[in-house]
Amino acid sequence: MLELTIAVAKGRMQDQALALMERAGIRVDEAALASRRLAVTDASERYRFVFVKPADVPVYVEHGIADCGVVGRDVLLESGADVLQPLDLGISRCRIAVATTHPEIPFSEFGMLRVATKYPNIAAKHFGALGIPVEIIELSGSVELAPVLGLADCIVDLVETGRTLAENGLSIVEEITESTGRLVVNRASYQLKAASVAPLIARLNEAVNEIALEKPSSD
Amino acid sequence: MSEPLSKIPSGMRYYFGQEARLRRAVEDAVVSVFTGWSYEEITTPSVDYYALFERGMGREEAHRAVRFMDGDGRLLALRPDMTSSVARAAATLFAERPRPLRFCYAAPVFRQQPHSHAEWRRESTQLGCELIGPGGAAADMEVLAIAVEVLAKLGLWQHCSITLNSVEVFNGIAEGLALDPAARDEMRRLIDMRDAAELGRFLTPRTSSATERAAFGRLTQLSGKRETLHQARRVITNKRSTNALDELEQLWKMIEALNLTDRFEIDLGDVLELDYYTGLVFRIYISGAGTRVGRGGRYDSLTANFGRTEPAIGFVLDLEALTDVLAKTDSAFAGESNKPNEVVPLACDDEARLLVEATERRRRGERIRIDFASES
Repeated sequence: MLELTIAVAKGRMQDQALALMERAGIRVDEAALASRRLAVTDASERYRFVFVKPADVPVYVEHGIADCGVVGRDVLLESGADVLQPLDLGISRCRIAVATTHPEIPFSEFGMLRVATKYPNIAAKHFGALGIPVEIIELSGSVELAPVLGLADCIVDLVETGRTLAENGLSIVEEITESTGRLVVNRASYQLKAASVAPLIARLNEAVNEIALEKPSSD
Repeated sequence: MSEPLSKIPSGMRYYFGQEARLRRAVEDAVVSVFTGWSYEEITTPSVDYYALFERGMGREEAHRAVRFMDGDGRLLALRPDMTSSVARAAATLFAERPRPLRFCYAAPVFRQQPHSHAEWRRESTQLGCELIGPGGAAADMEVLAIAVEVLAKLGLWQHCSITLNSVEVFNGIAEGLALDPAARDEMRRLIDMRDAAELGRFLTPRTSSATERAAFGRLTQLSGKRETLHQARRVITNKRSTNALDELEQLWKMIEALNLTDRFEIDLGDVLELDYYTGLVFRIYISGAGTRVGRGGRYDSLTANFGRTEPAIGFVLDLEALTDVLAKTDSAFAGESNKPNEVVPLACDDEARLLVEATERRRRGERIRIDFASES
């Protein structure tokens, strides 16, 4: 019987999330995934997975259409979503950082700093706390181009390896925070479906701990 | 460029037809339970000084009010909350009246910038009651029993969950850590989001004791029935928190005696509440509603703002959220409220006689409908 609907951020997060689910004993059929269906049920038919754009995960979960979700902390910080975040899944680890083509000029030299980003709220909050006046230029992709072409003085973006930045002549001047994949839960589901949610959290927690132990400590 | 008149401000809506009938039926049913427990209806000013709400609800919540200027330059607000105003009346207008005071209301409140994207409404109707004067578990239980009766009357009892906590459990811990107000809010937010990972990072520089860190981290996971209190006692030892746990246990015994434990949960992670709560807090969840539909708690120091300190407890239910759930779930209550009454259609060429007949039938209490000749 179907117990929970879980919204998973499409893309890179999806594969890592499903691998983690499999380790926790929740199997999703490969053939079903290969099809273009946006909703699939696991082998036990207890969990229904829906695959949506990362920014939409908190929306489905806040409204209680999905009971749970798997999404990056970056998305949660940006949306300010009112959801419970009981578990750091440790997947898709990356940083939210400030990068610029001219790291030698301190930001205090700018009367108004132009910041290009996909994360306008995170950027505004960060520079607001520092007391730096900013013009936020919201872009939906290829943010690295903005300082290169002169649209912005710096960018706030998600950085995994830093290769894209380096290839475009940008360097990181500040790290705002770290981001990893999180398990999020709707507030009402957490209470009303505790009998299903609590075991899911426990099983995923075990899987996360297992992986942490297997990883070489140099990581 | 002018806005078209057809546009409706975001967060506002119409109610009509079946939905409006259901909404009215829910309101009547809930208020009839309140009056059955001798709660007197009170209507508070729709517009009041902003300072009242800032004092009553705390700055952060009051900021959500729709504000504007009075003629003399003072800041006014469309009421974002009923309790602040009721508490003021209790301490001023009704200062001399014998206690307990029992008030209930069904009235719209206005708030902007919702906490959750799922709470998009800027106008919502609060159905609430306040019990002012008595403290202790018996008064707590009276208010909880009213909430239970309301939910049962709406046919929602089997589909609900009521979580209980005391803000003093958290206050005792925050006091022990000597947190400044900003850090206190941050810790409260992390516990509320059940974010054990971030909470651990938050606590590391603030307490050297790993046992303490683990203990407070457990706050995010402690929920369940009576055993939750025993688990909590094993990890939380400060006096203030343990007193709160004792009070919760006393209340739980009453819930057991009433055979209501099925739908009640103790949830020590529920800490994000209005600043005015001083003891018991509870939230009401219903299947089919993605957000909570009600909340309540004890606010023993709110009336002190108006010159008279006394115990008080109350709760509110969101009428629109209840209506939505009942409409969505094909509930028996919704079916009942939508039963068509028998209508007597009246049509006649002689309009003078038609209205004579209409008023006569109305006097007998019949439901009539005049069909004008031009319609047919």
